Amino acid sequence: MTEHFQNLSVSPADLPQVKSAEFHQIERGYLRITLLSNAIFFLILIIGAFCIIFFNNDIEGTLMEYGISIGAIAFLWLLNLIVTVKAFPKKRYALRERDIIYTKGLLWWERTSIPFNRIQHAELKQGPLDRLFKLHSLKIFTAGGQSSDLVIPGLPEDTATRLKEYILGKTALDGIDSE
Amino acid sequence: MESTVNKFFTPQRQSKIAIGIILIKFVKTTIRAMWPLVLSFVIGRNNDQITSIIGYIVIGFAVFNLLGSVLTYFRFYFHIEEGAFLIDKGVLKRSKTNIPFERIQSINFKQNLLHQMFGVVSLEVDTAGAKKSELTIDALDKEDAEELRNYILKEKAQIIAPETEEERVSTEFLEEESGETILHLSVSDLFKVGVSQNHLKSMGLLFAFVFSTLNEITEDIPELIADQVSEYDNVIINTGWIMFLASVIIVGVISFMYSLVSTVLSNYELKLSLHQNGLKLVKGLLNREEISVSKKKIQIISWSDNPIRMLFKMFTVKIEQASSTETDQLKSKIKVPGSYQAQIDSIAKTIFPQEYYRPEEKNKVSKLLKYRLFIFLGLFPTLIGGVISYFYIDWQALYFLIWGVAIWLVVSLYYRKRSFEVNDELLKNNRGTFGHIHELIQLYKVQSVEIKQSWYQRRKKIATIVLSTAAGSVKIPFLDLDQAEVLENFILYRIESDPREWM
Repeated sequence: MTEHFQNLSVSPADLPQVKSAEFHQIERGYLRITLLSNAIFFLILIIGAFCIIFFNNDIEGTLMEYGISIGAIAFLWLLNLIVTVKAFPKKRYALRERDIIYTKGLLWWERTSIPFNRIQHAELKQGPLDRLFKLHSLKIFTAGGQSSDLVIPGLPEDTATRLKEYILGKTALDGIDSE
Repeated sequence: MESTVNKFFTPQRQSKIAIGIILIKFVKTTIRAMWPLVLSFVIGRNNDQITSIIGYIVIGFAVFNLLGSVLTYFRFYFHIEEGAFLIDKGVLKRSKTNIPFERIQSINFKQNLLHQMFGVVSLEVDTAGAKKSELTIDALDKEDAEELRNYILKEKAQIIAPETEEERVSTEFLEEESGETILHLSVSDLFKVGVSQNHLKSMGLLFAFVFSTLNEITEDIPELIADQVSEYDNVIINTGWIMFLASVIIVGVISFMYSLVSTVLSNYELKLSLHQNGLKLVKGLLNREEISVSKKKIQIISWSDNPIRMLFKMFTVKIEQASSTETDQLKSKIKVPGSYQAQIDSIAKTIFPQEYYRPEEKNKVSKLLKYRLFIFLGLFPTLIGGVISYFYIDWQALYFLIWGVAIWLVVSLYYRKRSFEVNDELLKNNRGTFGHIHELIQLYKVQSVEIKQSWYQRRKKIATIVLSTAAGSVKIPFLDLDQAEVLENFILYRIESDPREWM
């Protein structure tokens, strides 16, 4: 590993490794939220498909028509279910002394790190389903467009508030440091 | 000098010429919204009641415009009070805006033909933060505007850094006249830039314009086209290829002229000059624009060429600064077509620490990128297209091989140019297919580091790294995972250990 980038003043091997940071799983309840909202989405699709066939006189409402359309949607639902469940353990975050890291994704995996001294603002969000499971999302804003903003979902109330306070505290501190 | 500044302490109206300028603005927006109506009225296909009603509406709008612009002018006041810029405006919806000097990012001047005739400028105040916080004064006397800008920037510098006040003030006054010119586009350079413009783009614009115009004039486009085409049919049958060639040449010449003229108009007398804390760009013939950016806010410098520009050894330079919204990013970009390598070097050395601006070892990305691109863009289309068309045209389907070979060549070109250079301070990303694109960022200004892996990339132990700055992001695909992680760790370390201001 050390043979890379020999022109750098710090040997990369001496630096703290992002991948060996202490990662935390997000709350299990978030998986249920995702599954529930997907279920609602697919049920609406299925009801929609059923209604189209049922009320449209041009389409013959035989068992085959219902089977094909609803079966296809159910198949997609199943795929979605598998991917969601499999991908859930990949959703993890880590807090280090000077940055916050979040990983996600099964087929397309990604790991985003944002240093505290580049964070503009942080806020907690709670959707209607989140409220049901008493979970929060932490949203982290950076300067510029939305391309580098970060959302960490599925945090219990106390962890979420603590994280936010911690980040905002660090951000403010760094601000003072630089001036 | 003080006396002229003093007058800004009491509420002021704009220069009287503003009435005219506001009027023109009003008329422009109205015409843009209603011109098909106006046109159909002028053409006057039939004299029924509807056309006369339309006529009244148009006249009504004209009167409304005139009244509106006069009222807008008389209900617009601005002045300076206790380190803030105040604006009181609005006829129906009144608003008072208060912008503290320290929130002002830059003050830019713009002049269109009318401004130039009367020696006034329109002044734009850019602020950090929310979308709607930008502010425009339509017309101010040029000297007044400069005075105002100097005063605000001076005050702002004092608020931000009181300890260095003395030297700041003195240099600030000097620099206004003596800003060192980095780049001045001469007439011959301007011409080269115009010639090497992307003419296909202007051809597209031209077509879009013609079609949308036709579309708005008449709703019976299909008939119109059918008419035209049937006429052409005869013509083509009569004169054949000559006619076709001639029209191709005419379209070519028109788009060439269009891009040449538009380049010359917008980049006439382009001048990029260096100031103590930033760059200033002045350009344009009919619309004279002046944009300034401060050094510390600059996030990305990129330069690119195309095959024609390569002949002239010229690049288009873009200097991007931090901005709050996506739309703003377009506006806050300084774009200089036609600069030579030496000029780019001097820009980069001015903005970034110059000891770090040097060629470094070029790191290549994984060869798998090339194969992957070839498989998806070349191999699959060739095979699928070939097999399907084999059933229709037999062995002529082998022509599809041409596509495969062409893609292989293009992908090879792309891969050969794909590299990046990194040192303690800067990262340079090199890419391009037919031309070259180079992007230069300062490592400590990055605000998020992202490592991405698709399913395929994970099996091959490679990754894509995305570095986002406040002005957009830089992406390096298909790195060795090891290498990507070293970069990730190092860049995070650089960001977290650097106390400098980054925007």
